[in-house]
Amino acid sequence: MVKWKRIGMDLTFPNVPKYTKDFINDMGQPLNIKIYEPSDDISPQGFLGLGNEFLEHIDNNYNSGFTLHVRRRDKIREPIRVEYIMNDENPTVVDKNIIKVDEDSEVTVIIDYKTISDTKAFHNGITKVYAKENSIVNIIKIQRMNESSFNFDSNVAIVEGRGKVNWISVELGSSISGANYTTFLDGEASEGYLSSIYFGDGNRKMDISYSMIHRGPRSISNIDTKGVLMNEARKVFRGNLDFKKGARRAKGNEEEYVILLDPKVKSDSIPGLFCEEDDVEGNHAASAGQLDKNKLFYLMSRGLSERDAKKLIVEASFRPIIDSIPSDELREEINLEVERRFANV
Amino acid sequence: MERKKTFIDDIDRGIYDIKNEFTYKYKAEKGLTPDIIIEISKEKNEPQWMTDFRLKSLEIYNSKPMPTWGADLSDLNLDEIITYIRPNADMKTRWEDVPEEIKDTFERLGLPQAERESLAGVGAQYDSEVVYHNIRQELVDQGVIYTDMETALRDYEDVIKEYFMKLVPPTDHKFAALHGAVWSGGSFVYVPEGVNVDIPLQSYFRLNAPGAGQFEHTLIIVEKGAFLHFIEGCSAPKYKVNNLHAGCVELYVKENARLRYSTIENWSKNMYNLNTKRCVVDKNGSIEWVSGSFGSRVSMLYPMSILRGEGAKSEFTGITFASKGQYLDTGTKVVHAAPYTTSTVNSKSISKDGGHAFYRGLLKVAPNAHNCKATISCESLMLDNDSKSDTLPIISLDNDNIDIGHEAKIGRISDEAIFYLMSRGISEEEAKAMIVRGFVEPITKELPLEYAVELNNLINIELEGSIG
Repeated sequence: MVKWKRIGMDLTFPNVPKYTKDFINDMGQPLNIKIYEPSDDISPQGFLGLGNEFLEHIDNNYNSGFTLHVRRRDKIREPIRVEYIMNDENPTVVDKNIIKVDEDSEVTVIIDYKTISDTKAFHNGITKVYAKENSIVNIIKIQRMNESSFNFDSNVAIVEGRGKVNWISVELGSSISGANYTTFLDGEASEGYLSSIYFGDGNRKMDISYSMIHRGPRSISNIDTKGVLMNEARKVFRGNLDFKKGARRAKGNEEEYVILLDPKVKSDSIPGLFCEEDDVEGNHAASAGQLDKNKLFYLMSRGLSERDAKKLIVEASFRPIIDSIPSDELREEINLEVERRFANV
Repeated sequence: MERKKTFIDDIDRGIYDIKNEFTYKYKAEKGLTPDIIIEISKEKNEPQWMTDFRLKSLEIYNSKPMPTWGADLSDLNLDEIITYIRPNADMKTRWEDVPEEIKDTFERLGLPQAERESLAGVGAQYDSEVVYHNIRQELVDQGVIYTDMETALRDYEDVIKEYFMKLVPPTDHKFAALHGAVWSGGSFVYVPEGVNVDIPLQSYFRLNAPGAGQFEHTLIIVEKGAFLHFIEGCSAPKYKVNNLHAGCVELYVKENARLRYSTIENWSKNMYNLNTKRCVVDKNGSIEWVSGSFGSRVSMLYPMSILRGEGAKSEFTGITFASKGQYLDTGTKVVHAAPYTTSTVNSKSISKDGGHAFYRGLLKVAPNAHNCKATISCESLMLDNDSKSDTLPIISLDNDNIDIGHEAKIGRISDEAIFYLMSRGISEEEAKAMIVRGFVEPITKELPLEYAVELNNLINIELEGSIG
């Protein structure tokens, strides 16, 4: 059993039945994608994800996943979409995804976790990204499971010289959600970026942790998180910038901005800045509070109701991140989902 | 091209390292047993409730495990620490009456001079007991009490019984329990309603004995509308064996009162400084912490402000300077427990020569504390590549009607800034020293003047002629 004190969670892992749905939607592209088969791929040293219990559970029980190997100088323009859909027949996804991107190549992968019924679904997965020299990897993760589901997601990237990994994380669903993104910036001038939005309403509990581990000289990282909490939602955010010795002239930046809409929300932020190298620049900033009253007043003076004005301000804060999702259809769905949540205000 | 690195020598601690021969009137055995505790209590002629309190604390101490987070305490063997040493001196109110050798120590530290020039009262503790305590007559006339804890326990037993270790109960953590069991010395200050003590009071804690612990207890009560500035200084000469400091500070700031609590801690590098400080602030009261941590081998120190009255305020200004062989884990905790409370945290740290500075903080906003405001700012400067610097501020919010901002920065002295200053005809050394002084300036201006001068000297000594 796993206990998370800060958000108040006791978890016993469920049995993992087979997952039979076809989850890869390759949009008709002739890609070198195959259903995952057991391999000796091991997690990188120092990667803890959401914790050993979760990683072991995946290793022993995975029922789905894929391996994607992008060859050298292969630039795949169209995003690859993977959907893990959960319903009454397939309530449990334990996935292990491996994305290997060779030198000078580029790829975008959208991984979407969603429920299409009221079933109490469970997801525990890992996504590993190996970005070789001079490659560009964009990973978009969308989590919109229903409010009785549990979601646990560990993500790790190892970035070589001049490689670049962009994570976009959209956290909208589940009653309990744990998400970890760890990026090892190993190569010289490697880059890691993470933009995320989270929306907590009802009794949702979220534990979000992001780590940028700078090992390569002149590596660059940026974490940009926007969140909203309402009703009785609880979240803990941990963002770490970790400069290891040797990461000369590395730069890291981290920002979290959370809007609190109700008196009963609970919001914990633990931004960490760890440094063993003097020649670096690291910044982090966090802010939390209600909506800007002046903005709200202005919008209401223009005839918007309080609810609509609040919605508009929240949407404005989410918009730059949602707009970077390379799919009209998905953007539209996410915008509608945010709108729907506000309907209950 | 290999860029030039700043090289900085270890501080010559000069006067702080002059040690006296270890003499004493009474010394407890090493380690901790109920017998030793009863012995200490008897030696101090304490009332039975205090003896019982000490024994209860010892039980709690034994039941708690060593903390596993933060500093590595495995080298600290509590069975080797002498918990109580009565020096060869009784408490005096005139410096002339203090034994020559002990007086000389405090003379070197500049305490009697500071008392003549800029302080309204002084307390001086040597090992486990206070050897000197004095306060200006005009403050006594206004009802201000400033005395050592032993005297306070005798003369104001009811007050002590009401407040002693109520804010930091022995159950708080292992070293609070240890403190409850073996506490000795420290100062008691009582400022009556409306009294404005405009000249600071200062207590100085000097640990001379090798392998010993100092466990002084400071209790300050500032009544409604009153004001006090209290300065705490600490130092010890360096020994090869570990010394331990586990003091406890409890501050009560009543309605509309204001307390400024300044600490300059310059323990030697064989000291484990595991100190607990806590303040509770009533309606519209305010606490201002000014904290400088320069010495010790290991420090774990997080002064805590509990803002329990509406409109209460806290301000924390801290600087930590971690050098060779030092692990300084410092920060502050603020609990907003009432509406309209405000807090400001401004922390700076410098690490060099393999030193490790760690800012660890907590900001907590209770569900009922609406309309509160808090800002936290942490800045770290690393002067070389062997050092480490970490920042971990925890922010925990339980309601929405608040305004919280947090910022942290880490970096080195920028080459551009040095280049600019040098282009203006300033030497490289002076340019670096200037930048470091500029970095700590917001803190130094909060320090009492003599300490500000001392800190600037410290930086100059550290940077002088050693850059290249």
